[in-house]
Amino acid sequence: MIAMRRPGSHLPWIRQTLFVFAWLALIPAASAEDAAVWLDRAAEAAQKQNYIGTIVYQHGGRFETSRLVHLNDQGREFEKLVNLDGPAREVIRMNGEVRCYYPDIKVIRVEPRTFRNAFPSLSPQQQAALTDFYTFRRAERERVAGIETQAWVFEPKDGLRYGHKFWADPVSGLLVKARMFDERNETVEQFAFTEVAIGVKIDRDQVKPSWPVTPPDWQIRQAGPSEDAKDTGWTVTRLPPGFVKIVDGYRRLRGARQVVHLVYSDGLVAVSVFIEPVGSTMHSFGISRQGGINVVVRQQDENIVTVLGEVPVATVRQIAHSVARR
Amino acid sequence: MRQQISRLMDGDLEGAEAEAAFGDLKRGDGLENWACYHIIGDVLRRNGYPTAGFASRFAARLDAEPTVLAPQRERPSQSSRLPFAWAVAATVAAVAVVSSVAVSMLDPQPTALAKAREANAVRTAQPRTQPVSPDYLLAHQEYSPTTLIQGVGPYLRAVSAGGADGR
Repeated sequence: MIAMRRPGSHLPWIRQTLFVFAWLALIPAASAEDAAVWLDRAAEAAQKQNYIGTIVYQHGGRFETSRLVHLNDQGREFEKLVNLDGPAREVIRMNGEVRCYYPDIKVIRVEPRTFRNAFPSLSPQQQAALTDFYTFRRAERERVAGIETQAWVFEPKDGLRYGHKFWADPVSGLLVKARMFDERNETVEQFAFTEVAIGVKIDRDQVKPSWPVTPPDWQIRQAGPSEDAKDTGWTVTRLPPGFVKIVDGYRRLRGARQVVHLVYSDGLVAVSVFIEPVGSTMHSFGISRQGGINVVVRQQDENIVTVLGEVPVATVRQIAHSVARR
Repeated sequence: MRQQISRLMDGDLEGAEAEAAFGDLKRGDGLENWACYHIIGDVLRRNGYPTAGFASRFAARLDAEPTVLAPQRERPSQSSRLPFAWAVAATVAAVAVVSSVAVSMLDPQPTALAKAREANAVRTAQPRTQPVSPDYLLAHQEYSPTTLIQGVGPYLRAVSAGGADGR
């Protein structure tokens, strides 16, 4: 503005216009590509960094504290998460699979993680959806868990998805806080480190399960690997815009039941559709919620349809009510 | 005035008449009468009646609950309810017996009534917080792009003490 008022300026409006254009060019225009690049960086940090910290999980007015340790040992990931509140449950990631230990009911659930290992980043389709349906922008710098973080926001362009705000360590790229919010800007769910040490030395002992040998009276519930790239013949007729199918296959849950599993993603979140014959297991019908995940269970002819995802109820319901055979 | 209370309870009063009746309730022993008549009504309809200190416990729990503004759900059918005026006329003796019980249960807190009214108008539209089998959550989790950037954090949903019972 000072430049405009200089004496001897013959065409002040040109100067002004140029000035405005120059100023606009300096605004960091977070483009489509940036969002995918940013996600890639955050994903890489989550997998490759060594870190240990205390994480607070907030959902529906509840707060739960856990201890999280992550080790990347020559390309192999080890991760341990222990509940500090309530039953001492833990999650262990090791050798490409995830094990959830429930000592209170003497159960271990095993989930083979074939997908994440096979697709460590977003498909071009997912990347396109990401930028068409969210506005990605840089937000404020804020101190979280002792780190001067940079916040980033994915603002949804419609009411079919939640908003997401991420606070990242600018040095390593690691997320130290993630908040999911609804259209009234109220927190649906939040994960936040209260303290974290990044890039520290972690021993293998620190990521070992508390029960390295399964106690004899415990039950192991092993899910089968997904049989992907098959055409199950099922589809969703009224798919909310921006969601693309990333999985069409079968899963074996608890080893025995075979269910159809379809997954749709908008690049940031996913919605799963499970279809199985009536009578294979007990279901409670209707709408329910588990943290940031909304669930709709309904019977459709001879099948039970379960739809869940980290999206608003309306989105889950729309999908649940338009599952059909092709 | 007691006539007005029973008509109010049966939903017979509207507009100015209802306003006048509400005004009466705020004066003298209006609130006590209102509460007493409800307890009598509950006993007559065999709905059971609240135990001592119910109103104060209810008020305390109501205070602890978040207020959720949401569209009101369909009201349940009123057909099973006995018109209160008729019931009173037919069972004066019963009133005499139970009113002594009722009076002993009265809550001295006048805010209880206001809160009960508020609670009726403000209904929750939140989905139930009911555990879905962790099988589904775990099967879903690995496909969500958020898992790529948050590591095992989102698996907390499956092991959270407040959520799934693990079964």
